[in-house]
Amino acid sequence: MIIAERRPIPEILANIENYEKVLVLGCRGCVAVCSAGGDREVAIMAEAIRLARSLQGKPIEVLEATFIRQCDPEYLEPLKGFKDEVEAVVSLACGVGVNLIADLYPDVRVYPGVDTTFYGANLALGEWVEKCRGCGDCIIDKTGGLCPIARCAKNLLNGPCGGSQEGRCEVRKDMPCIWHEIVERLKARGELERLMEIWEPKDWRPAGGDGLRVRIREDLRLNGGK
Amino acid sequence: MEGKSHLESLLEAGKFVVTAEIGPPRNADPEVIKKKAKILKGYVDAVNITDCQTAVVRVSSMASAVLIMSEGLEPVMQMTCRDRNRIGIQADLLGASTLGIKNLLCLTGDHPKFGNHPEAKPVFDLDSVQLLRLVKGLNEGRFENGEEIKGKRPYFFLGAAENPFAEPFDFRPYRLAKKVNAGARFIQTQIIYNVEKFRKFMEKCKELGLLERVYILAGITPPKSLAMAKYMKYHVPGLEVPDEVIKRLEDAKDKKEEGIQIAVDIIQQVREIPGVCGVHIMAIEWEEAVPEIVKRAGLYPRDGVPEFTPPFVVEKVVEKVVEKPVEVIVEKIVEKPVEVIVEKVIEKEVPLEGEMADEKIFTLIEILSDLKASLKNIKAGMESLEEGIARLEEEFLKKKEARPVIKEVVRKPEEKPKPEVKPEVKIEEKPEVKVEVKVEEIKPKEELKIEEKPVVEEKPIIEEKPEVKAVPEEKPEEKLEVKPEIKPEVKIEAKPEAIKIGGLKGIYRPLSERAKNIPQDLYLEKATGEIKEVVIGKGDKVIKVGGVSGLNFHFFEGEMRNGVKFALEILDVKPEDWPESLAKYYSDVFHDPALWAKKCVEEYGAEAVCLYLVGTDPNFLNLPPDHAKKITEAVAKAVDVPLIIWGSGNAEKDVEVLREVADIVGERGAVIGPIVEANHRTLAAVAMGYNLPVIASSPIDVNLAKQLNILLENMGLSLDKILMDPSIGALGYGLEYTYSVMERIRLAALFAQDTKLQVPFICSIGKEVWKTKEAGLPTDDLMGEAESRGILMEALTGVTLALAGGDLLIMRHPKAVELCKELFKGLSLS
Repeated sequence: MIIAERRPIPEILANIENYEKVLVLGCRGCVAVCSAGGDREVAIMAEAIRLARSLQGKPIEVLEATFIRQCDPEYLEPLKGFKDEVEAVVSLACGVGVNLIADLYPDVRVYPGVDTTFYGANLALGEWVEKCRGCGDCIIDKTGGLCPIARCAKNLLNGPCGGSQEGRCEVRKDMPCIWHEIVERLKARGELERLMEIWEPKDWRPAGGDGLRVRIREDLRLNGGK
Repeated sequence: MEGKSHLESLLEAGKFVVTAEIGPPRNADPEVIKKKAKILKGYVDAVNITDCQTAVVRVSSMASAVLIMSEGLEPVMQMTCRDRNRIGIQADLLGASTLGIKNLLCLTGDHPKFGNHPEAKPVFDLDSVQLLRLVKGLNEGRFENGEEIKGKRPYFFLGAAENPFAEPFDFRPYRLAKKVNAGARFIQTQIIYNVEKFRKFMEKCKELGLLERVYILAGITPPKSLAMAKYMKYHVPGLEVPDEVIKRLEDAKDKKEEGIQIAVDIIQQVREIPGVCGVHIMAIEWEEAVPEIVKRAGLYPRDGVPEFTPPFVVEKVVEKVVEKPVEVIVEKIVEKPVEVIVEKVIEKEVPLEGEMADEKIFTLIEILSDLKASLKNIKAGMESLEEGIARLEEEFLKKKEARPVIKEVVRKPEEKPKPEVKPEVKIEEKPEVKVEVKVEEIKPKEELKIEEKPVVEEKPIIEEKPEVKAVPEEKPEEKLEVKPEIKPEVKIEAKPEAIKIGGLKGIYRPLSERAKNIPQDLYLEKATGEIKEVVIGKGDKVIKVGGVSGLNFHFFEGEMRNGVKFALEILDVKPEDWPESLAKYYSDVFHDPALWAKKCVEEYGAEAVCLYLVGTDPNFLNLPPDHAKKITEAVAKAVDVPLIIWGSGNAEKDVEVLREVADIVGERGAVIGPIVEANHRTLAAVAMGYNLPVIASSPIDVNLAKQLNILLENMGLSLDKILMDPSIGALGYGLEYTYSVMERIRLAALFAQDTKLQVPFICSIGKEVWKTKEAGLPTDDLMGEAESRGILMEALTGVTLALAGGDLLIMRHPKAVELCKELFKGLSLS
């Protein structure tokens, strides 16, 4: 899922400094699961804003709402009901949601309430770790299912580098060296020779090197997209 | 295709080659590079030019290569993938080739994190293997995309690096094979100190048939100082420095001389290994050492001189110039615009040749390089500090408000163990005794009763049973026991022995019996982590602390391999504020800490002594480090038990004091501390230098304790050299809070796999207890008898904190220690 992290409250306060009525808008998608922008976080954020503003002597009215998703136009529909009522929206959705609001509702002043950080897995309560970088050209069929693009600090394709020590990455000592794991895993499977093949330089276009990434499935489009 | 490089020709001719390395300067002064080149000229066959090593901005490798060519040395240009994508790389390579550079070392490159622009976007479009293949393609006339190079092709003698000591160790030869397959024709290895491991690596390379396909040059670095060797051992990933090398440097009078000799010895050893075709000497910021090493290793003089195609010429002169050495060209070009620079160079060279100037510059270079090395160390320290601060900021500024959400998450793992504790406690309380709790003195005994019960089970000792049974109401009996002991003591104050610590009363029923009706899984939860074992001292008096695999005294769940240890505390000066009830035990030796320590050991059986250097406190007597040194020396001589040297707690002063003290106790081993965040860098270095464990002192907070451990670990101090001092509070002065913080730390360490907290606790109990008002008040009706009050306060604080996880307790009153031990004996029944 997409992992996000709440932005520092002072920055959010600075963004909405001149408003007296705002909407804190959560999303029940990924950001709710990773405890960054669901109903609960909306309530907390709204309360924090109210508290901070009343301490500043500039009370503010904060509305709260959480949509099922913010990355689909139809789920954003209810925003129409709010947009004339509030001066600004603080969206706790990932960057996708904030962008879509900005696209579809150009007259709404929307501010990000979270930093969208990565695609990760929830390893334990309160712990999320990056597993995929969305590079658009999956290679983990060759690496025992472990991704060196997301999980190696140097994106090595012919690793491990000389900084692998005791199975740890020299760049992040608290993290395993993913190439060490790949080698060990393939060795255990008796497939080490697969790593002897020299990996070609990666085509970074699907990773975003080619500009905005778009996916189209003609068969699903209404009237062929017209 | 161009002619072969000098290096390539020598290797092909089977000559044993020598290469060295120059790190370009962090400014635009060409003279720095030229000077370094002058030092090496004639002693090496080619010189590597690093490409912004450790990701620090420097003169580019290509420009430096051209500069050293003008000094008549052949460069090996290094190229990393960190800063350029495949377009930049190919452009630079074409450029390098046009300038006459023929040797190329292909590297992935250090991550920007380690450099001076850690915010930079790391490129890593390619990795070293792909880069090799790309250059091989260029040599063969095609770009990376397969397009043909029309016209003149570049030519490079291609090299790569490999680290024989990085993990996974057995994959390294295969990765080398990959590099060879990709086009590498020579390999320069990571610095070798562990020759045996390198030999194994080479054997494997031989098995893989690599030795016929690639020239391997062994990486050699003379350690310039002990500090540098230690820095490499602890801070450079993938570099193995055996203890033996450290030892050699430690024992050497002239460290630099020994460093050179170490390099020479390693060269001689690796030379014997089949397949080693040369050495690559990386005298980091110490180029002057290279000639000496080469000479001593019997590798001087070198064969032949490199020839160059001049890196640049002014068009009109081209024909004449082509075959001449660079200097000649330079003279000829004098009239052209380019040469303005050249003229200057020549002018400068003249004075340089004068012996005096040379020497001065060398000393200057040395001083500067020393400075650079220390700056580097400081930078590493600053980085870890910054990291720490950043973490704190994150903790307190950014995430603070979010905590409510996270809290629930965090708590769970910590709370889990609690359920087990409660049922057990209840069980313990069942035995009759609650009544007595009112009487202060008896408090400890309440616990004792429980424990003695097993004695009864082992039928041999039945005598005690009747005692207890005979008196169903225990109150009277116990009071009787305690009071008589104390009263005589009050009378004869001169003879402190008067107080006697009675044994435990009551009948012990083992847990298995008490809990027989409760399913085991309701109270039993085994820890998943373990507390590290810290060894204090050396020889047969050594004590081990920690090694706990469950909550303290939860013997049904885990082990306490070393039990709870005690140290008696002595001061470096005569104590001023010790109450008489404590002072009388030591007043005869107050004047001499050495005798005092001796008394602690010989008379009171201390297994360790803690010397508290309170006299050095700037806010107290502000005695100089020398005083601390003298006292420590005397104490160290007087007793052979392990020592704990506790500074005044003033962060700055402690650095001065403990540095001196460490020198004294380094040999025999001792714990030094307290290390706080403000002085952790210097003191960690001191501790590592002398291989001493330390006390990491933090202000009673889980995160701060952990933070300090992390900082220390980042400095290279391993966790089994750390004792945590959580800053404790005495009974009535924050004991509950201390208990709760220590318990949370211990639960995180044992049950939440928080490895950074898996460190034993050291608790300075005596200091805290005996400064309280209550411990010092005289005997009166309200407060009761003074001495037993003090003893009970100290013992209770000790027992409580031992239950919370305390592993090493520093105490003052010998009777309080005795009482604690008695109680622990009881707690240890199972």
